[in-house]
Amino acid sequence: MKDSIREMFAMMELELRRLSHDRTELYTRAIQPILWLTVYGTVMSHVKAIPTDGIPYLDYITPGVLLQSTIFVSVFYGLTIVWERETGILKKLLVAPASRYATVIGRSIASGVRAIFQVLIIIPVALLIGVDFIFNPLYFIMAILIIFFVSGGFAAISILIASIMKTRERFMGIGQALIMPLFFVSNSLYPIKLMPPILQYFAFFNPLTYAVDAVRGLMISGDISNLLPDIAAIAIFDVIMFAAASISFRKIIE
Amino acid sequence: MTIAIEVKELVKVYGGKVRALDGVNLKVKAGDVFALLGPNGSGKTTLMRILTTQFKPTSGEASIFGFDVVRRDSQIRKIISYVPQETSVWTDISGYENLLIYAKIYGLQSRDRNKVIREALEGMGLDTVADNLVKTYSGGMIRRLEMACAMLIRPKILFLDEPTIGLDPTARKAVWEKLTSFKKEYDTTVFFNTHYMDEADLYSDEIAIIDRGKMVKFGTADELKHSIRRDVIQFSLNDHIIDESVLKRIRDLDFVNDIIINDTDLSVVVVDAETALPVVIEILRNGGISVKKISMTRPTLDDVFLKYAGTISLERGDIREIKQVRSMTGKG
Repeated sequence: MKDSIREMFAMMELELRRLSHDRTELYTRAIQPILWLTVYGTVMSHVKAIPTDGIPYLDYITPGVLLQSTIFVSVFYGLTIVWERETGILKKLLVAPASRYATVIGRSIASGVRAIFQVLIIIPVALLIGVDFIFNPLYFIMAILIIFFVSGGFAAISILIASIMKTRERFMGIGQALIMPLFFVSNSLYPIKLMPPILQYFAFFNPLTYAVDAVRGLMISGDISNLLPDIAAIAIFDVIMFAAASISFRKIIE
Repeated sequence: MTIAIEVKELVKVYGGKVRALDGVNLKVKAGDVFALLGPNGSGKTTLMRILTTQFKPTSGEASIFGFDVVRRDSQIRKIISYVPQETSVWTDISGYENLLIYAKIYGLQSRDRNKVIREALEGMGLDTVADNLVKTYSGGMIRRLEMACAMLIRPKILFLDEPTIGLDPTARKAVWEKLTSFKKEYDTTVFFNTHYMDEADLYSDEIAIIDRGKMVKFGTADELKHSIRRDVIQFSLNDHIIDESVLKRIRDLDFVNDIIINDTDLSVVVVDAETALPVVIEILRNGGISVKKISMTRPTLDDVFLKYAGTISLERGDIREIKQVRSMTGKG
Protein backbone atom coordinates (compact mmCIF):
# COMPACT_ATOMS: atom_id res chain seq x y z
CA MET A 1 0.00 0.00 0.00
CA LYS A 2 2.80 2.40 0.96
CA ASP A 3 4.62 1.40 -2.21
CA SER A 4 1.54 2.14 -4.27
CA ILE A 5 0.88 5.57 -2.81
CA ARG A 6 4.53 6.43 -3.31
CA GLU A 7 4.32 5.43 -6.95
CA MET A 8 1.21 7.58 -7.46
CA PHE A 9 3.00 10.63 -6.09
CA ALA A 10 6.07 9.86 -8.18
CA MET A 11 3.83 9.75 -11.27
CA MET A 12 2.42 13.18 -10.45
CA GLU A 13 5.90 14.54 -9.93
CA LEU A 14 6.89 13.08 -13.28
CA GLU A 15 4.10 15.05 -14.97
CA LEU A 16 5.18 18.26 -13.23
CA ARG A 17 8.74 17.74 -14.36
CA ARG A 18 7.65 17.01 -17.90
CA LEU A 19 5.61 20.19 -17.93
CA SER A 20 8.51 22.20 -16.60
CA HIS A 21 10.59 21.10 -19.60
CA ASP A 22 7.96 21.50 -22.29
CA ARG A 23 4.82 23.57 -21.98
CA THR A 24 3.88 23.69 -25.66
CA GLU A 25 1.11 21.18 -25.26
CA LEU A 26 -0.49 23.25 -22.52
CA TYR A 27 -0.61 26.27 -24.81
CA THR A 28 -1.82 24.47 -27.93
CA ARG A 29 -4.49 22.66 -25.96
CA ALA A 30 -5.65 26.01 -24.58
CA ILE A 31 -6.47 27.34 -28.05
CA GLN A 32 -9.67 25.39 -28.52
CA PRO A 33 -11.31 26.29 -25.19
CA ILE A 34 -10.30 29.91 -25.63
CA LEU A 35 -12.06 29.89 -29.02
CA TRP A 36 -15.17 28.41 -27.40
CA LEU A 37 -15.20 31.27 -24.93
CA THR A 38 -14.12 34.19 -27.07
CA VAL A 39 -15.90 33.31 -30.32
CA TYR A 40 -18.81 30.95 -29.63
CA GLY A 41 -19.45 32.34 -26.14
CA THR A 42 -19.44 36.03 -27.06
CA VAL A 43 -21.58 35.49 -30.17
CA MET A 44 -24.12 33.29 -28.42
CA SER A 45 -24.38 35.62 -25.45
CA HIS A 46 -26.01 38.17 -27.78
CA VAL A 47 -28.72 35.71 -28.79
CA LYS A 48 -30.09 35.32 -25.28
CA ALA A 49 -32.16 32.31 -26.35
CA ILE A 50 -30.86 29.88 -23.73
CA PRO A 51 -32.36 30.08 -20.24
CA THR A 52 -29.46 30.27 -17.80
CA ASP A 53 -31.19 31.36 -14.62
CA GLY A 54 -29.97 34.89 -14.95
CA ILE A 55 -26.31 34.03 -15.36
CA PRO A 56 -24.63 35.74 -18.35
CA TYR A 57 -24.20 33.09 -21.08
CA LEU A 58 -20.42 33.48 -21.24
CA ASP A 59 -20.20 32.84 -17.49
CA TYR A 60 -22.63 29.95 -17.86
CA ILE A 61 -20.47 28.04 -20.34
CA THR A 62 -17.08 28.73 -18.74
CA PRO A 63 -17.11 25.71 -16.35
CA GLY A 64 -18.17 23.42 -19.19
CA VAL A 65 -15.45 24.73 -21.47
CA LEU A 66 -12.88 24.36 -18.69
CA LEU A 67 -13.90 20.77 -18.10
CA GLN A 68 -14.08 19.91 -21.78
CA SER A 69 -10.53 21.11 -22.26
CA THR A 70 -9.31 19.16 -19.24
CA ILE A 71 -10.97 15.94 -20.33
CA PHE A 72 -9.36 16.43 -23.74
CA VAL A 73 -6.04 16.42 -21.91
CA SER A 74 -7.01 13.37 -19.86
CA VAL A 75 -8.39 11.29 -22.68
CA PHE A 76 -5.34 11.86 -24.82
CA TYR A 77 -3.25 11.07 -21.81
CA GLY A 78 -4.15 7.44 -22.42
CA LEU A 79 -1.97 7.81 -25.48
CA THR A 80 1.02 8.11 -23.17
CA ILE A 81 0.20 4.67 -21.86
CA VAL A 82 -0.02 3.26 -25.40
CA TRP A 83 3.29 4.91 -26.16
CA GLU A 84 4.84 3.62 -22.98
CA ARG A 85 3.62 0.17 -23.89
CA GLU A 86 5.52 0.42 -27.15
CA THR A 87 8.61 1.44 -25.21
CA GLY A 88 9.78 -0.52 -22.19
CA ILE A 89 8.58 1.91 -19.52
CA LEU A 90 5.39 0.06 -18.68
CA LYS A 91 7.25 -3.21 -18.37
CA LYS A 92 9.72 -1.63 -16.02
CA LEU A 93 6.96 -0.10 -13.89
CA LEU A 94 5.35 -3.53 -13.62
CA VAL A 95 8.54 -4.84 -12.07
CA ALA A 96 8.57 -2.04 -9.44
CA PRO A 97 7.40 -2.93 -5.91
CA ALA A 98 4.09 -1.05 -6.20
CA SER A 99 0.93 -2.89 -7.19
CA ARG A 100 0.17 -2.74 -10.88
CA TYR A 101 -3.06 -0.99 -10.06
CA ALA A 102 -0.98 1.81 -8.60
CA THR A 103 0.51 2.22 -12.06
CA VAL A 104 -2.93 2.61 -13.62
CA ILE A 105 -4.38 4.86 -10.95
CA GLY A 106 -1.14 6.79 -10.59
CA ARG A 107 -1.00 7.52 -14.30
CA SER A 108 -4.68 8.50 -14.33
CA ILE A 109 -4.34 10.83 -11.38
CA ALA A 110 -1.19 12.33 -12.89
CA SER A 111 -3.25 13.56 -15.81
CA GLY A 112 -5.05 15.73 -13.25
CA VAL A 113 -1.79 17.64 -12.83
CA ARG A 114 -1.92 18.62 -16.48
CA ALA A 115 -5.60 19.41 -16.19
CA ILE A 116 -5.00 21.89 -13.38
CA PHE A 117 -2.38 23.76 -15.35
CA GLN A 118 -4.80 23.85 -18.27
CA VAL A 119 -7.37 25.50 -16.03
CA LEU A 120 -4.83 28.01 -14.78
CA ILE A 121 -4.21 29.13 -18.36
CA ILE A 122 -7.86 29.44 -19.33
CA ILE A 123 -9.10 31.27 -16.23
CA PRO A 124 -7.10 34.47 -16.88
CA VAL A 125 -8.45 34.54 -20.45
CA ALA A 126 -11.98 34.12 -19.10
CA LEU A 127 -11.39 36.96 -16.62
CA LEU A 128 -10.10 39.11 -19.45
CA ILE A 129 -13.27 38.72 -21.49
CA GLY A 130 -15.35 39.59 -18.47
CA VAL A 131 -16.40 36.31 -16.88
CA ASP A 132 -17.44 36.98 -13.31
CA PHE A 133 -15.94 34.34 -10.96
CA ILE A 134 -16.82 34.01 -7.31
CA PHE A 135 -13.75 35.03 -5.37
CA ASN A 136 -13.86 32.51 -2.59
CA PRO A 137 -10.55 30.66 -2.11
CA LEU A 138 -12.23 27.68 -0.47
CA TYR A 139 -14.70 27.31 -3.36
CA PHE A 140 -11.88 27.76 -5.84
CA ILE A 141 -9.78 25.01 -4.27
CA MET A 142 -12.83 22.71 -4.18
CA ALA A 143 -13.45 23.35 -7.85
CA ILE A 144 -9.82 22.62 -8.72
CA LEU A 145 -9.95 19.38 -6.74
CA ILE A 146 -13.12 18.33 -8.54
CA ILE A 147 -11.48 19.03 -11.90
CA PHE A 148 -8.42 17.08 -10.74
CA PHE A 149 -10.40 13.98 -9.80
CA VAL A 150 -12.72 14.11 -12.81
CA SER A 151 -9.72 14.16 -15.12
CA GLY A 152 -8.38 11.12 -13.29
CA GLY A 153 -11.58 9.25 -14.14
CA PHE A 154 -11.43 10.28 -17.78
CA ALA A 155 -7.77 9.32 -18.02
CA ALA A 156 -8.80 5.90 -16.70
CA ILE A 157 -11.38 5.68 -19.51
CA SER A 158 -8.61 6.40 -21.96
CA ILE A 159 -6.40 3.71 -20.42
CA LEU A 160 -9.35 1.37 -20.79
CA ILE A 161 -9.68 2.28 -24.47
CA ALA A 162 -5.93 2.14 -24.92
CA SER A 163 -5.82 -1.40 -23.61
CA ILE A 164 -8.46 -2.42 -26.13
CA MET A 165 -7.09 -0.44 -29.08
CA LYS A 166 -3.39 -1.12 -28.52
CA THR A 167 -2.24 1.13 -31.38
CA ARG A 168 -1.92 4.87 -31.47
CA GLU A 169 -3.74 5.44 -34.75
CA ARG A 170 -6.91 3.63 -33.73
CA PHE A 171 -6.82 5.41 -30.42
CA MET A 172 -6.78 8.89 -31.95
CA GLY A 173 -10.08 8.33 -33.74
CA ILE A 174 -11.84 6.95 -30.69
CA GLY A 175 -10.53 9.74 -28.49
CA GLN A 176 -12.08 12.39 -30.73
CA ALA A 177 -15.33 10.48 -31.11
CA LEU A 178 -15.68 10.24 -27.35
CA ILE A 179 -15.12 13.77 -26.16
CA MET A 180 -17.41 15.85 -28.35
CA PRO A 181 -20.57 13.77 -27.65
CA LEU A 182 -19.80 13.88 -23.93
CA PHE A 183 -19.50 17.65 -24.19
CA PHE A 184 -22.69 18.17 -26.19
CA VAL A 185 -24.76 15.72 -24.18
CA SER A 186 -24.08 17.51 -20.92
CA ASN A 187 -25.08 20.75 -19.25
CA SER A 188 -21.92 22.47 -20.50
CA LEU A 189 -23.50 24.69 -23.14
CA TYR A 190 -27.23 24.57 -22.26
CA PRO A 191 -29.45 23.24 -19.47
CA ILE A 192 -30.33 19.59 -19.76
CA LYS A 193 -34.05 20.30 -19.65
CA LEU A 194 -33.83 21.77 -23.17
CA MET A 195 -32.79 18.37 -24.57
CA PRO A 196 -35.09 15.74 -26.05
CA PRO A 197 -35.91 13.05 -23.44
CA ILE A 198 -33.55 10.45 -24.90
CA LEU A 199 -30.61 12.85 -24.67
CA GLN A 200 -31.64 13.86 -21.17
CA TYR A 201 -31.34 10.21 -20.29
CA PHE A 202 -27.80 10.07 -21.67
CA ALA A 203 -26.89 13.30 -19.93
CA PHE A 204 -28.01 11.75 -16.66
CA PHE A 205 -25.31 9.09 -17.04
CA ASN A 206 -22.71 11.54 -18.28
CA PRO A 207 -20.14 12.23 -15.55
CA LEU A 208 -19.35 15.54 -17.17
CA THR A 209 -22.84 16.77 -16.22
CA TYR A 210 -22.10 16.39 -12.52
CA ALA A 211 -18.64 17.89 -12.78
CA VAL A 212 -19.96 20.92 -14.68
CA ASP A 213 -22.77 21.36 -12.16
CA ALA A 214 -20.34 21.27 -9.24
CA VAL A 215 -17.76 23.58 -10.80
CA ARG A 216 -20.46 26.01 -11.99
CA GLY A 217 -21.84 26.17 -8.46
CA LEU A 218 -18.43 26.77 -6.94
CA MET A 219 -17.01 29.18 -9.49
CA ILE A 220 -19.94 31.04 -11.04
CA SER A 221 -23.41 30.77 -9.50
CA GLY A 222 -22.55 30.12 -5.88
CA ASP A 223 -25.43 27.64 -5.73
CA ILE A 224 -23.88 24.60 -4.11
CA SER A 225 -27.06 22.82 -3.06
CA ASN A 226 -26.23 19.91 -5.38
CA LEU A 227 -22.56 19.73 -4.44
CA LEU A 228 -22.73 16.56 -2.37
CA PRO A 229 -24.64 14.45 -4.91
CA ASP A 230 -22.31 15.81 -7.61
CA ILE A 231 -19.23 14.77 -5.66
CA ALA A 232 -20.80 11.38 -4.95
CA ALA A 233 -21.48 10.87 -8.67
CA ILE A 234 -17.89 11.81 -9.53
CA ALA A 235 -16.52 9.50 -6.85
CA ILE A 236 -18.60 6.59 -8.16
CA PHE A 237 -17.45 7.36 -11.69
CA ASP A 238 -13.79 7.44 -10.60
CA VAL A 239 -13.98 4.20 -8.66
CA ILE A 240 -15.70 2.34 -11.51
CA MET A 241 -13.26 3.68 -14.08
CA PHE A 242 -10.16 2.98 -11.98
CA ALA A 243 -11.36 -0.57 -11.41
CA ALA A 244 -12.24 -1.16 -15.07
CA ALA A 245 -8.95 0.32 -16.27
CA SER A 246 -6.99 -1.76 -13.77
CA ILE A 247 -8.66 -4.95 -14.93
CA SER A 248 -8.25 -4.22 -18.61
CA PHE A 249 -4.66 -3.19 -17.98
CA ARG A 250 -3.77 -6.87 -17.86
CA LYS A 251 -4.41 -6.92 -21.58
CA ILE A 252 -1.82 -4.24 -22.17
CA ILE A 253 0.89 -6.21 -20.47
CA GLU A 254 0.40 -9.66 -21.94
CA MET B 1 25.89 -22.62 -2.97
CA THR B 2 22.78 -20.48 -3.18
CA ILE B 3 20.41 -20.90 -6.07
CA ALA B 4 19.29 -17.54 -7.45
CA ILE B 5 16.84 -18.75 -10.06
CA GLU B 6 15.14 -22.10 -10.26
CA VAL B 7 12.72 -23.04 -13.02
CA LYS B 8 10.85 -26.34 -13.23
CA GLU B 9 8.78 -27.56 -16.18
CA LEU B 10 7.68 -24.02 -16.99
CA VAL B 11 5.01 -23.71 -19.68
CA LYS B 12 3.50 -20.57 -21.14
CA VAL B 13 0.73 -20.82 -23.72
CA TYR B 14 -0.48 -17.64 -25.42
CA GLY B 15 -4.05 -17.41 -26.57
CA GLY B 16 -4.65 -21.11 -25.92
CA LYS B 17 -2.49 -22.31 -28.78
CA VAL B 18 1.00 -20.82 -29.07
CA ARG B 19 3.39 -22.62 -26.74
CA ALA B 20 6.04 -19.95 -26.13
CA LEU B 21 7.60 -22.00 -23.34
CA ASP B 22 7.27 -25.74 -23.46
CA GLY B 23 8.59 -27.26 -20.24
CA VAL B 24 11.65 -25.19 -19.39
CA ASN B 25 14.03 -26.30 -16.62
CA LEU B 26 16.82 -24.07 -15.38
CA LYS B 27 19.04 -23.34 -12.40
CA VAL B 28 21.16 -20.24 -11.95
CA LYS B 29 23.69 -19.95 -9.12
CA ALA B 30 23.79 -16.77 -7.04
CA GLY B 31 26.57 -14.45 -8.13
CA ASP B 32 26.78 -15.85 -11.64
CA VAL B 33 26.43 -14.02 -14.90
CA PHE B 34 24.01 -16.14 -16.84
CA ALA B 35 23.36 -15.79 -20.57
CA LEU B 36 20.25 -17.11 -22.27
CA LEU B 37 20.74 -17.57 -25.99
CA GLY B 38 18.05 -18.32 -28.49
CA PRO B 39 16.78 -17.44 -31.94
CA ASN B 40 13.97 -14.92 -32.39
CA GLY B 41 10.69 -16.19 -31.02
CA SER B 42 12.35 -18.96 -29.02
CA GLY B 43 10.80 -17.83 -25.73
CA LYS B 44 13.70 -15.83 -24.24
CA THR B 45 11.67 -12.72 -23.55
CA THR B 46 8.67 -14.68 -22.33
CA LEU B 47 10.85 -16.51 -19.80
CA MET B 48 12.35 -13.27 -18.58
CA ARG B 49 8.96 -11.61 -18.23
CA ILE B 50 7.68 -14.53 -16.14
CA LEU B 51 10.79 -14.47 -13.94
CA THR B 52 10.33 -10.73 -13.40
CA THR B 53 6.68 -11.37 -12.35
CA GLN B 54 5.14 -9.42 -15.22
CA PHE B 55 2.75 -12.24 -16.00
CA LYS B 56 2.01 -15.71 -14.78
CA PRO B 57 3.11 -18.99 -16.33
CA THR B 58 0.45 -21.38 -17.62
CA SER B 59 1.94 -24.23 -15.60
CA GLY B 60 5.18 -25.22 -13.91
CA GLU B 61 7.15 -23.43 -11.24
CA ALA B 62 9.75 -20.72 -11.04
CA SER B 63 11.38 -19.09 -8.05
CA ILE B 64 13.81 -16.28 -7.39
CA PHE B 65 15.94 -16.79 -4.25
CA GLY B 66 13.29 -19.21 -3.07
CA PHE B 67 10.35 -16.85 -3.67
CA ASP B 68 7.73 -18.30 -5.98
CA VAL B 69 7.07 -15.98 -8.94
CA VAL B 70 3.31 -16.35 -8.65
CA ARG B 71 2.67 -16.45 -4.91
CA ARG B 72 5.51 -14.24 -3.62
CA ASP B 73 5.79 -11.81 -6.51
CA SER B 74 5.82 -8.71 -4.33
CA GLN B 75 8.86 -9.96 -2.39
CA ILE B 76 10.62 -10.67 -5.67
CA ARG B 77 9.96 -7.19 -7.01
CA LYS B 78 11.81 -5.70 -4.05
CA ILE B 79 15.06 -7.53 -4.83
CA ILE B 80 15.24 -7.51 -8.62
CA SER B 81 15.88 -4.93 -11.29
CA TYR B 82 14.95 -5.31 -14.88
CA VAL B 83 16.03 -3.55 -18.05
CA PRO B 84 13.68 -4.34 -20.92
CA GLN B 85 14.86 -4.54 -24.48
CA GLU B 86 13.05 -1.35 -25.47
CA THR B 87 13.91 2.09 -24.12
CA SER B 88 12.59 2.36 -20.60
CA VAL B 89 13.40 5.90 -19.55
CA TRP B 90 11.37 9.06 -20.12
CA THR B 91 13.07 11.04 -22.84
CA ASP B 92 11.40 14.38 -22.11
CA ILE B 93 13.02 14.84 -18.70
CA SER B 94 16.69 14.82 -17.70
CA GLY B 95 18.77 11.77 -16.81
CA TYR B 96 18.93 12.87 -13.18
CA GLU B 97 15.17 13.32 -13.04
CA ASN B 98 14.62 9.82 -14.42
CA LEU B 99 16.68 8.38 -11.61
CA LEU B 100 14.91 10.62 -9.10
CA ILE B 101 11.46 9.40 -10.18
CA TYR B 102 12.55 5.76 -10.04
CA ALA B 103 14.24 6.34 -6.67
CA LYS B 104 10.91 7.66 -5.38
CA ILE B 105 8.96 4.77 -6.88
CA TYR B 106 11.32 2.39 -5.10
CA GLY B 107 11.05 4.38 -1.89
CA LEU B 108 14.72 5.19 -1.38
CA GLN B 109 15.20 7.22 1.80
CA SER B 110 15.24 10.90 0.95
CA ARG B 111 18.38 11.62 2.96
CA ASP B 112 20.61 9.30 0.93
CA ARG B 113 18.61 9.46 -2.28
CA ASN B 114 20.74 12.15 -3.84
CA LYS B 115 23.97 10.37 -2.94
CA VAL B 116 22.79 7.05 -4.41
CA ILE B 117 21.67 8.76 -7.63
CA ARG B 118 24.97 10.62 -8.00
CA GLU B 119 26.89 7.39 -7.44
CA ALA B 120 24.83 5.54 -10.03
CA LEU B 121 25.37 8.33 -12.54
CA GLU B 122 29.09 8.39 -11.89
CA GLY B 123 29.29 4.61 -12.03
CA MET B 124 27.78 4.69 -15.49
CA GLY B 125 29.86 7.66 -16.60
CA LEU B 126 26.89 9.97 -16.99
CA ASP B 127 27.64 12.57 -14.32
CA THR B 128 28.51 15.27 -16.82
CA VAL B 129 25.27 14.92 -18.82
CA ALA B 130 22.97 14.24 -15.86
CA ASP B 131 21.00 17.45 -16.28
CA ASN B 132 20.53 17.21 -20.04
CA LEU B 133 17.25 15.95 -21.47
CA VAL B 134 17.42 12.25 -22.27
CA LYS B 135 16.36 13.00 -25.87
CA THR B 136 19.81 14.45 -26.45
CA TYR B 137 21.52 11.20 -25.35
CA SER B 138 23.04 8.63 -27.71
CA GLY B 139 21.80 5.03 -27.73
CA GLY B 140 24.72 3.91 -25.58
CA MET B 141 24.13 6.67 -23.04
CA ILE B 142 20.44 5.77 -22.79
CA ARG B 143 21.39 2.17 -22.12
CA ARG B 144 23.84 3.25 -19.43
CA LEU B 145 21.15 5.44 -17.88
CA GLU B 146 18.85 2.42 -17.79
CA MET B 147 21.58 0.41 -16.12
CA ALA B 148 22.03 3.22 -13.59
CA CYS B 149 18.27 3.06 -12.93
CA ALA B 150 18.44 -0.67 -12.42
CA MET B 151 21.33 -0.33 -10.00
CA LEU B 152 19.72 2.28 -7.75
CA ILE B 153 18.21 -0.33 -5.48
CA ARG B 154 21.32 -2.56 -5.45
CA PRO B 155 19.32 -5.54 -6.69
CA LYS B 156 20.20 -9.12 -5.85
CA ILE B 157 19.43 -10.06 -9.43
CA LEU B 158 19.65 -7.92 -12.50
CA PHE B 159 17.57 -9.02 -15.50
CA LEU B 160 18.69 -7.63 -18.83
CA ASP B 161 16.75 -8.27 -22.01
CA GLU B 162 19.11 -7.86 -24.98
CA PRO B 163 21.19 -5.31 -23.07
CA THR B 164 23.28 -4.07 -25.97
CA ILE B 165 20.98 -4.48 -28.95
CA GLY B 166 21.51 -1.76 -31.53
CA LEU B 167 24.67 -0.36 -29.94
CA ASP B 168 27.98 0.12 -31.71
CA PRO B 169 30.94 -2.01 -30.51
CA THR B 170 32.46 0.78 -28.41
CA ALA B 171 29.18 1.46 -26.63
CA ARG B 172 28.63 -2.25 -26.09
CA LYS B 173 32.03 -2.58 -24.51
CA ALA B 174 31.41 0.43 -22.28
CA VAL B 175 28.07 -0.98 -21.09
CA TRP B 176 29.66 -4.33 -20.22
CA GLU B 177 32.64 -2.79 -18.47
CA LYS B 178 30.40 -0.73 -16.19
CA LEU B 179 28.17 -3.70 -15.62
CA THR B 180 31.06 -5.97 -14.71
CA SER B 181 32.48 -3.53 -12.19
CA PHE B 182 29.06 -3.05 -10.58
CA LYS B 183 28.59 -6.79 -10.40
CA LYS B 184 31.97 -7.19 -8.72
CA GLU B 185 31.22 -4.52 -6.15
CA TYR B 186 27.78 -5.78 -5.10
CA ASP B 187 27.96 -9.46 -6.06
CA THR B 188 24.80 -9.16 -8.10
CA THR B 189 23.49 -12.12 -10.06
CA VAL B 190 23.04 -11.13 -13.70
CA PHE B 191 20.63 -12.92 -16.03
CA PHE B 192 20.63 -11.69 -19.61
CA ASN B 193 19.13 -12.56 -22.98
CA THR B 194 21.19 -11.97 -26.05
CA HIS B 195 21.86 -13.06 -29.52
CA TYR B 196 25.37 -11.65 -29.57
CA MET B 197 27.42 -14.82 -29.13
CA ASP B 198 30.62 -12.95 -28.33
CA GLU B 199 28.96 -11.26 -25.36
CA ALA B 200 27.80 -14.54 -23.93
CA ASP B 201 31.28 -15.92 -24.52
CA LEU B 202 33.15 -13.03 -22.93
CA TYR B 203 31.01 -12.06 -20.01
CA SER B 204 28.95 -15.02 -18.86
CA ASP B 205 29.76 -17.77 -16.38
CA GLU B 206 27.10 -20.07 -17.72
CA ILE B 207 25.02 -20.23 -20.85
CA ALA B 208 21.75 -21.87 -21.75
CA ILE B 209 20.41 -22.20 -25.27
CA ILE B 210 16.66 -22.10 -25.70
CA ASP B 211 14.89 -23.08 -28.89
CA ARG B 212 11.17 -23.29 -29.59
CA GLY B 213 10.35 -22.99 -25.90
CA LYS B 214 12.72 -25.73 -24.76
CA MET B 215 16.18 -25.65 -23.20
CA VAL B 216 18.43 -27.44 -25.64
CA LYS B 217 21.87 -26.97 -24.06
CA PHE B 218 23.35 -25.75 -20.84
CA GLY B 219 26.93 -25.20 -19.62
CA THR B 220 29.92 -22.85 -19.55
CA ALA B 221 31.11 -21.39 -22.83
CA ASP B 222 34.03 -23.85 -22.87
CA GLU B 223 31.82 -26.82 -22.13
CA LEU B 224 29.46 -25.84 -24.91
CA LYS B 225 32.25 -25.40 -27.41
CA HIS B 226 33.79 -28.65 -26.33
CA SER B 227 30.48 -30.43 -26.66
CA ILE B 228 30.58 -29.94 -30.41
CA ARG B 229 33.72 -32.13 -30.48
CA ARG B 230 34.99 -30.54 -33.61
CA ASP B 231 38.39 -28.83 -33.33
CA VAL B 232 40.48 -28.30 -36.44
CA ILE B 233 44.31 -28.51 -36.46
CA GLN B 234 45.95 -27.02 -39.51
CA PHE B 235 49.50 -27.88 -40.51
CA SER B 236 51.46 -25.99 -43.13
CA LEU B 237 53.99 -28.48 -44.42
CA ASN B 238 57.32 -27.83 -46.10
CA ASP B 239 56.71 -30.51 -48.72
CA HIS B 240 53.87 -32.42 -50.32
CA ILE B 241 52.98 -35.62 -48.57
CA ILE B 242 54.07 -38.54 -50.73
CA ASP B 243 53.66 -41.31 -48.21
CA GLU B 244 49.95 -42.13 -48.08
CA SER B 245 50.48 -44.47 -45.11
CA VAL B 246 51.12 -41.48 -42.86
CA LEU B 247 47.71 -40.09 -43.74
CA LYS B 248 46.11 -43.45 -43.19
CA ARG B 249 47.66 -43.72 -39.76
CA ILE B 250 46.29 -40.32 -38.82
CA ARG B 251 42.88 -41.13 -40.24
CA ASP B 252 42.76 -44.36 -38.28
CA LEU B 253 43.10 -42.60 -34.93
CA ASP B 254 39.75 -42.93 -33.19
CA PHE B 255 39.55 -39.24 -32.21
CA VAL B 256 40.09 -38.02 -35.77
CA ASN B 257 36.91 -37.25 -37.66
CA ASP B 258 38.33 -36.21 -40.98
CA ILE B 259 41.44 -35.01 -42.76
CA ILE B 260 41.62 -32.61 -45.66
CA ILE B 261 44.67 -32.03 -47.84
CA ASN B 262 45.01 -28.96 -49.95
CA ASP B 263 48.41 -28.60 -51.60
CA THR B 264 50.87 -28.45 -48.69
CA ASP B 265 48.15 -27.66 -46.16
CA LEU B 266 46.87 -30.47 -44.01
CA SER B 267 43.74 -30.01 -41.86
CA VAL B 268 42.85 -32.58 -39.25
CA VAL B 269 39.40 -32.48 -37.69
CA VAL B 270 39.52 -33.92 -34.17
CA VAL B 271 37.43 -34.22 -31.03
CA ASP B 272 39.84 -32.27 -28.86
CA ALA B 273 42.78 -30.44 -30.36
CA GLU B 274 44.84 -30.21 -27.17
CA THR B 275 45.10 -33.96 -26.64
CA ALA B 276 45.19 -34.84 -30.34
CA LEU B 277 48.03 -32.53 -31.31
CA PRO B 278 50.97 -34.41 -29.72
CA VAL B 279 49.81 -37.70 -31.22
CA VAL B 280 49.42 -36.27 -34.72
CA ILE B 281 52.79 -34.50 -34.55
CA GLU B 282 54.43 -37.73 -33.48
CA ILE B 283 53.02 -39.56 -36.52
CA LEU B 284 54.10 -36.79 -38.87
CA ARG B 285 57.62 -36.78 -37.41
CA ASN B 286 57.93 -40.55 -37.68
CA GLY B 287 56.83 -40.29 -41.30
CA GLY B 288 59.63 -37.80 -41.88
CA ILE B 289 57.34 -34.87 -42.66
CA SER B 290 58.54 -31.46 -41.49
CA VAL B 291 55.99 -28.94 -40.35
CA LYS B 292 56.42 -25.22 -40.99
CA LYS B 293 53.45 -23.90 -39.03
CA ILE B 294 50.63 -25.22 -36.84
CA SER B 295 47.37 -23.50 -36.00
CA MET B 296 44.27 -24.63 -34.21
CA THR B 297 40.71 -23.53 -34.70
CA ARG B 298 38.25 -24.28 -31.95
CA PRO B 299 34.53 -23.97 -32.50
CA THR B 300 33.05 -20.60 -31.62
CA LEU B 301 29.83 -20.11 -29.78
CA ASP B 302 28.27 -19.40 -33.17
CA ASP B 303 28.98 -22.98 -34.18
CA VAL B 304 27.46 -24.17 -30.92
CA PHE B 305 24.38 -22.05 -31.47
CA LEU B 306 23.94 -23.24 -35.03
CA LYS B 307 24.28 -26.82 -33.97
CA TYR B 308 21.74 -26.71 -31.14
CA ALA B 309 19.33 -24.00 -32.19
CA GLY B 310 19.61 -24.85 -35.86
CA THR B 311 18.80 -22.33 -38.53
CA ILE B 312 16.91 -19.22 -37.60
CA SER B 313 13.35 -20.03 -36.78
CA LEU B 314 11.85 -17.75 -39.42
CA GLU B 315 13.10 -20.03 -42.14
CA ARG B 316 11.97 -23.14 -40.45
CA GLY B 317 8.73 -22.58 -38.74
CA ASP B 318 5.45 -20.90 -38.95
CA ILE B 319 6.03 -17.20 -39.30
CA ARG B 320 2.56 -16.39 -38.05
CA GLU B 321 3.26 -18.17 -34.83
CA ILE B 322 6.37 -16.13 -34.21
CA LYS B 323 4.54 -12.93 -34.99
CA GLN B 324 1.88 -13.91 -32.52
CA VAL B 325 4.39 -14.62 -29.80
CA ARG B 326 6.11 -11.32 -30.53
CA SER B 327 2.97 -9.27 -30.41
CA MET B 328 1.99 -10.94 -27.19
CA THR B 329 5.29 -10.38 -25.51
CA GLY B 330 4.97 -6.79 -26.65
CA LYS B 331 7.92 -6.61 -29.00
CA GLY B 332 6.10 -5.15 -31.94
